[in-house]
Amino acid sequence: MFKGTRGYITYGLGFFVVLEIMLVAAVYWWPTFEENLPSIKAIAAPIQMLSDLVDQVDQFGVSGYIVGQHFFKGCSALGTAAAVLFAANSVAGEAHRGTMEIWLARPVSRTRLMTERWLGGLFVVVAPVFLTSATVPALLGMFDKTMDMSDLMRCSLHMGGFLAAIYSVSFLWSCLSSEPMRISFVMLFLSVMVFALYLVEGVTHYSLYRLVEIKVFMRIITKDAMDWPLLAPMLACTVLAYGLSLRAFRRRVP
Amino acid sequence: MSVHGLEHRFGATQALHRTDLEIPAGGVVGLLGPNGSGKSTLMRLLTGLVPLQQGKVNVDGVPMAGDGLEIRRRTTYAPGELHLYSELKGGEHLRFLLRGRRDGSFDRARSIAGELGLPLDRRVREYSHGMKRQLLFAAAIAPDVRVRILDEISEGLDPAKRSQVLDLIDADAARGTTILLSSHHLGEVDRSCQRLVFLNAGRVVADESSEEVRRRAGRLVRLRFAPGALTPGSTGVLQGPGVESVEEVEDRVNVMLSGDDPRAFLGRLAAATDLPAPTSVEHGRISLGELYRALYGVEGT
Repeated sequence: MFKGTRGYITYGLGFFVVLEIMLVAAVYWWPTFEENLPSIKAIAAPIQMLSDLVDQVDQFGVSGYIVGQHFFKGCSALGTAAAVLFAANSVAGEAHRGTMEIWLARPVSRTRLMTERWLGGLFVVVAPVFLTSATVPALLGMFDKTMDMSDLMRCSLHMGGFLAAIYSVSFLWSCLSSEPMRISFVMLFLSVMVFALYLVEGVTHYSLYRLVEIKVFMRIITKDAMDWPLLAPMLACTVLAYGLSLRAFRRRVP
Repeated sequence: MSVHGLEHRFGATQALHRTDLEIPAGGVVGLLGPNGSGKSTLMRLLTGLVPLQQGKVNVDGVPMAGDGLEIRRRTTYAPGELHLYSELKGGEHLRFLLRGRRDGSFDRARSIAGELGLPLDRRVREYSHGMKRQLLFAAAIAPDVRVRILDEISEGLDPAKRSQVLDLIDADAARGTTILLSSHHLGEVDRSCQRLVFLNAGRVVADESSEEVRRRAGRLVRLRFAPGALTPGSTGVLQGPGVESVEEVEDRVNVMLSGDDPRAFLGRLAAATDLPAPTSVEHGRISLGELYRALYGVEGT
């Protein structure tokens, strides 16, 4: 796929629409969920991690529900897929289809070419998280509920940091490879595996999705502050992966 | 353009052995050789697309440094590989290829594409092989630069289009542009080249003015014999005054004369009763490609 400004906007819009549909559905079903919460708790009881999730929703009410549905489920699951797929194609896709030579042959520095590509993909993955989160107060207004916009933006920033790290690591691999399909399959398989770990008691602490669980977002909301001990390593990972990508890309042969 | 001690290796494969070249400003230089001879590698090294491993490159007074951006600003490059963004329209693709060029380049490229009859409003996926080649050519010939590096630019073009492309190259060279033109078919580009550099297996095997090459082509006599008719050493009788070299290649014998007049040699050939009668004798009709094949044993030209 050709990646120009129009392409980034189109793909970003597509991701926004998917996330927004999920969010609207989640908000629409909130009253039913609230009504059936005792039954849901009973169903989730045998699985400790699931039970914890439902308890958190019960504890924090609509905020916990939105955070769980939108950030933990929608953005982290779909966002990971979008980040991996977009990053995998970024450079390896050009090599795979043979267009790397015409991409690099123009009088534009490699640093600029790669940074544009990296930023474009990052925009596609992260911008929809902020945009969909910004619609939450309006959607909740349908049920006379609300959430503070600044809380939502802080949560979006945290989610964006998580997705940026996954995107940048996939991007680094893309800079080293010519096989986008392999990158996508391996990274998606790893993501599913790591997500599955989250639900298994005893090994849940090894799951990266602990970084974006409901508790983390509720901590950000209740403390009115970013969770820097968690966000800073994700941002550092992003910057490191970007730097290594640049190094690899400068030596890349068409 | 100058290249000193340039070598390149892809893993275990030595793609380019130590190469030195000096190409003065202005004119068209043909870079010739069969597929896999190292032409494209050399061209990619000249444009910074492949990082230098060993040696020095200087283009339009600028030494190769970093990712070669300064050199790419002063040159245009048309790659030999025809991989384009098929989802773009011709005009959009032209704009993509001309990113970073001075204002006016796109208009010139569009005008050249018009001359070539290229439909810029159609998607590249609908383009034929030759049309894709012309799109790359239009993008490479339009910008106002002093050096152009054109890889296999005439490949896949019909004779009329090839002639049109070479006319545009000739006109550009006449304005003082230096053009490095590669091909694996000498006959496709030799009319435009003032100098011919021949590569084979990653080595420069010949670097001569095309006038000299044509003169040598005029001095080559090629004899063909019936299969198995030649016996070892039987061609020794062809040696003598006026003969520079005699070379046997299977059932062919290539004789390089030292002068333009073949009569003395032909007289000796007629008198050589120990030699079987040749099935054909060719002189003066030998193409440059055949000459290279005869002189350097390079196939595919």
